[in-house]
Amino acid sequence: MTGFVNPRTPDDEPIVGRDRPRLDSTMKVTGRAVYTVDIEKPGMLHAKVLRSPYAHARILSIDASAARSLAGVTAVVTREEIIGLHSYGTYVKDQPIVATESVRYVGDVVAAVAAVDERTAFAALDLIRVEYEQLPAVFDVRAAMEPSAPAIFPDQPFAAYPEYGDGASGAAHTAHNVSYEFRYETGEESVWADCDYIFEDTFTFSRMNHMHLEPFATVAEATANEIEVWTSTQSPFPMRKELARVFGLPENDIRVNVPLLGGGFGAKNGPKTEAIAIRLSQLSAGRPVRYCMSTEEVFLTLSQHDAILTVKSGLKADGEFMARQSRVLLNGGAYADASPLVAEKAGYRMPGAYRWKRIDSVCQAVITNSVPAGAYRGFGATQATWASERQVDLIAERLGFDPLELRLKNTKELGEEFVPGETPIDSDLKHGLILVADAIGYRDRTRLSNRGMGVAIGIKDGGGVNKPAQARVKVTTNGDVFLNCALVEMGQGGHSALCQIVAETLGCDPKRVRYAAIDTDNTPFDQGTNASSGIAVMGHAVRQAAERVKCSVLDTAAEHLMLDRQSIRLDDWTIVDAEGTTYELPPLIMERFGGTGFEFTADGYYKARSASSAPLEAPCIFWEIGWAAAEVEVDPETGRVELLQLVVSGDAGKVVNKLGCRGQDEGAAVFGLAQALFEELRYDDGELLNGEALLYRVPLAEDIPRRFSSITQEQGHGAGPFGTKGMGEGGMLPIAPAIAQAIADATGAQLTSLPMTPERVYNGIRAARVRHGGADGNA
Amino acid sequence: MSLESPESNEETLTHNVEFELNGSPERHCVPTSATVLDLLRNSCGKQGVRASCERSVCGACTVLVDDLPVAACSTFAFDVDGARVETVEGLAAQDGTLSAQQQAFRECGGFQCGFCTSGMLMLTTALLRQNPQPEREQIREWVSSNTCRCTGYEMILESVERAAELAGAKQQDQVSE
Ligand code: FES
Ligand code: FES
Repeated sequence: MTGFVNPRTPDDEPIVGRDRPRLDSTMKVTGRAVYTVDIEKPGMLHAKVLRSPYAHARILSIDASAARSLAGVTAVVTREEIIGLHSYGTYVKDQPIVATESVRYVGDVVAAVAAVDERTAFAALDLIRVEYEQLPAVFDVRAAMEPSAPAIFPDQPFAAYPEYGDGASGAAHTAHNVSYEFRYETGEESVWADCDYIFEDTFTFSRMNHMHLEPFATVAEATANEIEVWTSTQSPFPMRKELARVFGLPENDIRVNVPLLGGGFGAKNGPKTEAIAIRLSQLSAGRPVRYCMSTEEVFLTLSQHDAILTVKSGLKADGEFMARQSRVLLNGGAYADASPLVAEKAGYRMPGAYRWKRIDSVCQAVITNSVPAGAYRGFGATQATWASERQVDLIAERLGFDPLELRLKNTKELGEEFVPGETPIDSDLKHGLILVADAIGYRDRTRLSNRGMGVAIGIKDGGGVNKPAQARVKVTTNGDVFLNCALVEMGQGGHSALCQIVAETLGCDPKRVRYAAIDTDNTPFDQGTNASSGIAVMGHAVRQAAERVKCSVLDTAAEHLMLDRQSIRLDDWTIVDAEGTTYELPPLIMERFGGTGFEFTADGYYKARSASSAPLEAPCIFWEIGWAAAEVEVDPETGRVELLQLVVSGDAGKVVNKLGCRGQDEGAAVFGLAQALFEELRYDDGELLNGEALLYRVPLAEDIPRRFSSITQEQGHGAGPFGTKGMGEGGMLPIAPAIAQAIADATGAQLTSLPMTPERVYNGIRAARVRHGGADGNA
Repeated sequence: MSLESPESNEETLTHNVEFELNGSPERHCVPTSATVLDLLRNSCGKQGVRASCERSVCGACTVLVDDLPVAACSTFAFDVDGARVETVEGLAAQDGTLSAQQQAFRECGGFQCGFCTSGMLMLTTALLRQNPQPEREQIREWVSSNTCRCTGYEMILESVERAAELAGAKQQDQVSE
C-alpha cells in the first residue's frame, strides 16, 4: 500500500496547516501531563546502581552479602543474577544488564539494588564490595585500533546486520576494537584521474550529551513469566522485542507502556533503565520497582559520537566537484548501542547536497573505554555535514571561489538522484540556500572588520528504513474519536499532528480526537519514533485508518438511509446528502446497532517498498534538509565569537502545524549552535570532567542571538500525506559549518574542530596570519 | 526523592511544616532533610512540579515562595514553614480558565516536551509580578535562569511577551468594568 495521492488545495484543508495550539498544550501548561517519572504503583520499590570507578578492569569478585541483608533491601542484582539472560544492542548484542567478566568504562553498571526507598538503596550500594584488577584502557579511536591496544571485547559478541543494496556493505568486527564498519561506493575510480585539484582534510567532531530534561526512568512489574513496564522509550515495540530476547520470554508476555517523554533526541532507544528494573522486580517477588536515573547517571549512560573524519575531494579547475572519498572513525564508546546505525549514516551521507561522479566512503565505529555513544539527533549527518561543508569552504578559499557560489554550482537539482537507486532529491536545495543567504543579507553586505558571514546546507535521508507503521482509528456512537498508534510524544508534537490528520479526514474538530495511551498489548505495531518519520510514515497509516473509518460510516449510513453512497458526505459526525439535508449519526447508529451503540474501527498501514537497488535496502521516504546562514563578530584579541544573526530553514513539504514546524527547526538549530560554540563532554585522558548539570554547559536564552529566526518552507514535494516531509533533525546539520565559515570570513581562521572555543578561534587567527604571510587575516 | 516509608531502616528527625500552598493551608511532618520538591511532589501530590538536575541548575522545579522563584530541589522543606508557596497547579482559575501565562505559552508554542514548562511558567509569573511590562532584554535575562532543551528559547521569549500583553489586557478589562 502506498500513500494517498489526492493532495487537496489549501483552501479545503481547514485543519492541517493552521497556526493553532497543539492538542497537548493544556495538559502541559497546567502541569497535568504524565511522564514516566510520575508513575507510581502501590508497594513500589526504588532501584539504584553501583557503577565502575575504573575505565577498564576485570571483576575478580563481588560480595553483596551485607547489602542483601540490610533491612529494607528486597533484591540485589550482580552478574550471578543474570546468568542465562542475554545481552542487548542494536546490531551488536554486547551490553549485559550488569557487568560480567569486566567493566569497560567509568560508570559501567556493576550491581543494582532494590529497596523500600532510594536512601536505603544507596546505603546498600555502599555495602557491596567489588574487587577489580585494573586493565589498560584506551580512549582515543586511533589508539584503540592499534594492534597493541587492549581488546575491549576479547570474545566477539553476537551481531546481526542488514543485507544492504547496491554499493553498500556492512560487517561487524572488521578490525581491532571496531564494532561495526559500513562502506559505500559508487562511480568509477578513474574519475580521480580527471580531477584538476585534489584536497584532503581532516576534521574532528565533538561529543555532547543529550540532556533531555526527563532522565531515563522505568517502573517495572515482573515475574519470571510476565513483564510489564512503564518506561521512557522512543521505541515501544523494538523495546518489547529486545526485552523478550534478553529475558527469554514470548513477546505476548511482555507489555510496554509509554507515557509522555520529557525529551529524547535519540537517547531513548534501546534498554537503559528497563532491564535492571525488571530483573530487580523479578527478584522482589514481583513488586513494582522504579529505576529513575539522576542527571549524573544520564551522563554515564549515553552520548553522541565524537569523530575523526578525513575527506578527500577532487574537482575540476572551474570548481566542478568530481570525486570524494571519506574515512570516518566514530568513537562508539564501550558498547555498540546504535553505533552501527550511526556508522551507516555517517558513511552514506558524506556526499552532502552535491553532485559527484565518484563516491567512496568507509566509516568504522570504534570501541573505546568511554561512555557508550548512540543515536543522537541528526546522527551520522551531523558528523558528515561538519566535515563535508567545512571542506567546501576550505576549497573555496584555496581556489578563490565564493563559498556560496561554489555550493550553488555543485548543488543537486530538485529531482536529481542522491546516489543510484535512491529517492530523488525532493527539495529545491538552491532555493533554500539563497533564501537563508538573503535573510542575513549575505549577498549585498558591506564588509566590516572582524565580521563575517557563512552559509551551509545539510541533508539526510529521512523516514527510516524498513519502518512498517500501523494505526487504528475508532469512533464512538457520539463521534468521539480515538487514535491508536505507537508514535511516542517526546516534544515534537507528533500526537497533535497525527490527531490533526484524523480530524482533517473525518471533518471533525481536532479536540474530538484523543491519542490513546500507548501499550504494546493494544496499540498497533510500529517500528519506533525516530528518523523524523512521524508524519511522513505514520501519517500515511493514520490517514488510511481514518479514511477507512469514514468509508465504513458512509457505507453504513447510505445503506440505512437508502441514499446513494457517492452523494453523501461526513461533516462533524453528521451525514449530509446531495441536497444538503443533514442526518445526525448517533440516532442512526442506535437504530441500527441497538441502544448501546457501536464503535467504528479501522486500521491503516504503511511501509515504503524495499528495493535491492537502493543502497540501504529501501529508498528513503524523503530528504530532510537544513539550510542555515550565520553572521558573527569575532574579537581577534580573545577569540571570542559573538553570533549576531542566525537563520535556519527547513522544508516541511506541507505544514501540518506551524508552531510545531518552527519549534522543531529552532530547537534543532540551538543544538547545532551549542555544538558549534561551547557544548561538549570534556575528557581528560578518559576521565569525564563535566558529567554533571553544574559543569555541563547547555545553551540558555542568553546564548541565542538577538537576531535568530527560522523559515519554514513549504515546497510541496514531500511523500507524506498532504505533501508533508519530516522535521526535527535537519535544522541541526548546517549550523556549525555556517558559523565556522562566518568565523573564517571574519578572521581568516579556518577551524576544523568543534566546539569553536575562543582558544581555538584565537589559535586559528594566528595560523591564518602565518598562512597569509603575516598580513591581517581580515582581508 | 522518595520519602520515608514504614519499612525504612533508619530513624529520621522530622519537622512540622505549615505553609500556604496555592492559597490553601497545608501541614506536613517531613524529615529534616526533605526538600521542597519532596514536600510538594510526594506529600502534597503536586506532580506538576518537575525534577531534572536536582542541583539547582535547570530550573525545571521552579516554584514561587513568597513571590520569588525558587529551585524546589535545592530548598529545604523547613524553609517554607510559614511561607506562601505557589506551583503550576495554582495558576489556572478554579473553573479551569487558564491564566495569561498559560494561555500565552499555549498560543505561542512556548513548550515542546513540556518538562521545563511548569518552571518556565512560574518564572514568568514572578517576572510579571515584579514588572508587568518587561522588555525583551529583561525577559532574556530571567528566562536564562532555566533550561529548555527543546524549543530553542525564541518561542518561550515570545510567550513571555505575549503573557505580559494578555495580563495587561485583562487588567484593563478589570479596570474598565
Ligand atoms: S531540578 Fe531543581 S533546578 Fe534542576
Ligand atoms: S519543552 Fe522540553 S525542555 Fe522545554
